[in-house]
Amino acid sequence: MAAPAFTFEEAPELPGNERLSKYGVSGLRRLVHRLWDLDIEGLHHIPATGPAILCPNHLSFCDSVFVPLSLPRRVWAIGKGEYMDDWKTKHLFPAFGMIPVDRSGGDAAQVALDTAAKVLDGGHLFMIYPEGTRSRSGNLHKARTGAARLSLRCSAPIIPVGHSGTLAVQPPDQFVMKPGLPVSVRFGAPMHIEDHGDPADPRTVRKFADEVMFEIAQLSGQKYVNTYAGSDDTPDAPTATGAPVTKPSISVPPGRSRAPKAAFAGLS
Amino acid sequence: MNLATSIEQHDPSRVALVDGESAHTYGELTERAALLRAVLIDNGVGPDDRVGVLAGNEPLFVAASMAALGVGARVIPMKPTNPLSELKRKLAAIEPAAVLIGEDGGWIHTHGGTLGVLLIDAARAASTTPPPPIVERDADDIAFMMLTSGVSGEPKVAMLSHGNLDAAQRAISTEVEGGLSPDDITLGSLPVAHIFGLNAVLLTSLRVGAKIILERRFDLLGSLELVREHQITVLAGAPPMWRLWSMTDAAEGTFDSVRVALSGAAALPSDVFNDMRDRHGVVVEEGYGLTETSSVLTTCRGGEVRPGSVGRAVPGIEMVLVEEDGSPVDPGDSGEIVVRGPGIFHGYFNDPDTTGQVLTEDGWFWTGDVGVFDEDGYLYLVDRVKDLIIVSGFNVYPAEVENILLEHEGVAGAVVVGGESLETGETVIAHIQGTATADELDAFAREHLTRYKCPTEYHFVDEIPVAPTGKLIRRELR
Repeated sequence: MAAPAFTFEEAPELPGNERLSKYGVSGLRRLVHRLWDLDIEGLHHIPATGPAILCPNHLSFCDSVFVPLSLPRRVWAIGKGEYMDDWKTKHLFPAFGMIPVDRSGGDAAQVALDTAAKVLDGGHLFMIYPEGTRSRSGNLHKARTGAARLSLRCSAPIIPVGHSGTLAVQPPDQFVMKPGLPVSVRFGAPMHIEDHGDPADPRTVRKFADEVMFEIAQLSGQKYVNTYAGSDDTPDAPTATGAPVTKPSISVPPGRSRAPKAAFAGLS
Repeated sequence: MNLATSIEQHDPSRVALVDGESAHTYGELTERAALLRAVLIDNGVGPDDRVGVLAGNEPLFVAASMAALGVGARVIPMKPTNPLSELKRKLAAIEPAAVLIGEDGGWIHTHGGTLGVLLIDAARAASTTPPPPIVERDADDIAFMMLTSGVSGEPKVAMLSHGNLDAAQRAISTEVEGGLSPDDITLGSLPVAHIFGLNAVLLTSLRVGAKIILERRFDLLGSLELVREHQITVLAGAPPMWRLWSMTDAAEGTFDSVRVALSGAAALPSDVFNDMRDRHGVVVEEGYGLTETSSVLTTCRGGEVRPGSVGRAVPGIEMVLVEEDGSPVDPGDSGEIVVRGPGIFHGYFNDPDTTGQVLTEDGWFWTGDVGVFDEDGYLYLVDRVKDLIIVSGFNVYPAEVENILLEHEGVAGAVVVGGESLETGETVIAHIQGTATADELDAFAREHLTRYKCPTEYHFVDEIPVAPTGKLIRRELR
């Protein structure tokens, strides 16, 4: 499908806005469509104006290239502050909408959330990987609740995004993106938290987060596992949602066994 | 310390218990307990022996329990409403040195020869031995052994020490603003063989020197009469009792004297909460606790009532929500409720394996319940871990599906359980009591639930199995 008409939103109040011009972004969009067989579905679900939270699955570093460049509007996301120290990324990443956040402080997650809220409150699109980090197993993992909490806080809908093909384009630890491969990006219908439970009830956040993952699984075709990414496969580098926090664990009773329930073939 | 001293600390002329037409003072209870201590000593019962108390909500339950505690023994409350076969099974499990019999348990005497255990009639027993003093016990010495089959199946016997029960009693009386006080008049309708009725209501009321109006068997009109007549200030009930109270057309002012309304043992339906508030002016406070935690873990006392929440952790309780591996959940996320504190039990009697599944060496008790905190630390319960259904990897909590199905006008009762599925691992199966058809319910569920949460099978039953506490008994439908 041809690249849709693109709206380059100016947001002077947001850091990173001044990096690269709309012409640069347009050029990148054309380049992506030329180098890869990019199939985009569900663009009609993206609102022409107003805030929304894009929630894609996360398999490869290049997800942060394909999803933003598939959108008809500019989208913002949180990225590591360290990217601004590297000449290779300091101009390119903000062009994709990355807002650098210094995550060395103790309240990094809160800073990231506050920054995201600023984006949404300004009526813009914001992208966050609900799994918190890349899945090395290929499965879709349990969501962190940040996206759902953001949706609640800013009254912004979540748009589930499922993509495939990005892992082949850029496998883990590869710097170069292999051209010529097919990549599919599918956008689902906007999900509003109030349709999934009483927003005033704190139980609704986890429920909503799980139901978003179900929709992502439908779009990406991945098998869902109810563990956090990085917990049952190779520990992964954190990405846009904040560094993992080392928390003291509660001891587990020695006799406790949690045999996994019967295996299943996949989503029905 | 010894919990048996709790009834001796008050003015002996104060009325402790009202049982029908008769009132019993703290002094009379103390005397009866002392006499029964002598009887127990006469029969060779001493420290750490196990003593069954087969009595209902009656003064003899208190006297017999205090007597057994007083000689240092461990008390096992036994329901006199249990059939003989059930009692025999329980006696075989606990092998008591003696069983003290109250009025409600009197029927057992005709079967005495078949039980192989020493039965003592608590009403008629006499002794010429001078009453022995109350034995000093350590906080860790076991006081009560509670038979708790819960709703999960095999009976377990939870061992609670003097220190455990003492801590929980303090947490809801002297250590919390608006807790139970000597001026309170408590309705004793909840069964004393259940930890809620025993510790949160009966023993805590006795500890503070309050008056308890006993109701031997809960009855709607009878309980309302007691509330009116005795100007009850503390009204505690399980959700089925609150439902009946909420539906009644009780005369205006019936509940005016009630200053504390407590619900526990199972989730209080929101319509019951609303009806009690709107029709009777009573704001019911939900609390949360388990037998293994000496009753109370959370309370709304000293805080505010937030509909749907069971309140905040009581003083002395550390409460954490964790993932399966023991790591704390992210703020605002749900997880298994794990607790530590002075009220946590000492394990299951003769069952180290089961104990090892829930209790760690450093004192953390894994409750098996899933909950979530709001930003102020108020706890909201989600469901039982064991009841979780996993469909294509996704968690489905039966309570959520049941609550949706119950909103259908053709559904009077609903229980959801998991069934095996080759495609999805498990599948959601609904058992329905009501007039709705499977097609109607399927359409309704699809409208209100995400696809993986929708039942794939509907079975229609005449009656949904519910425990007296209001908990659904899912195992009968699995």
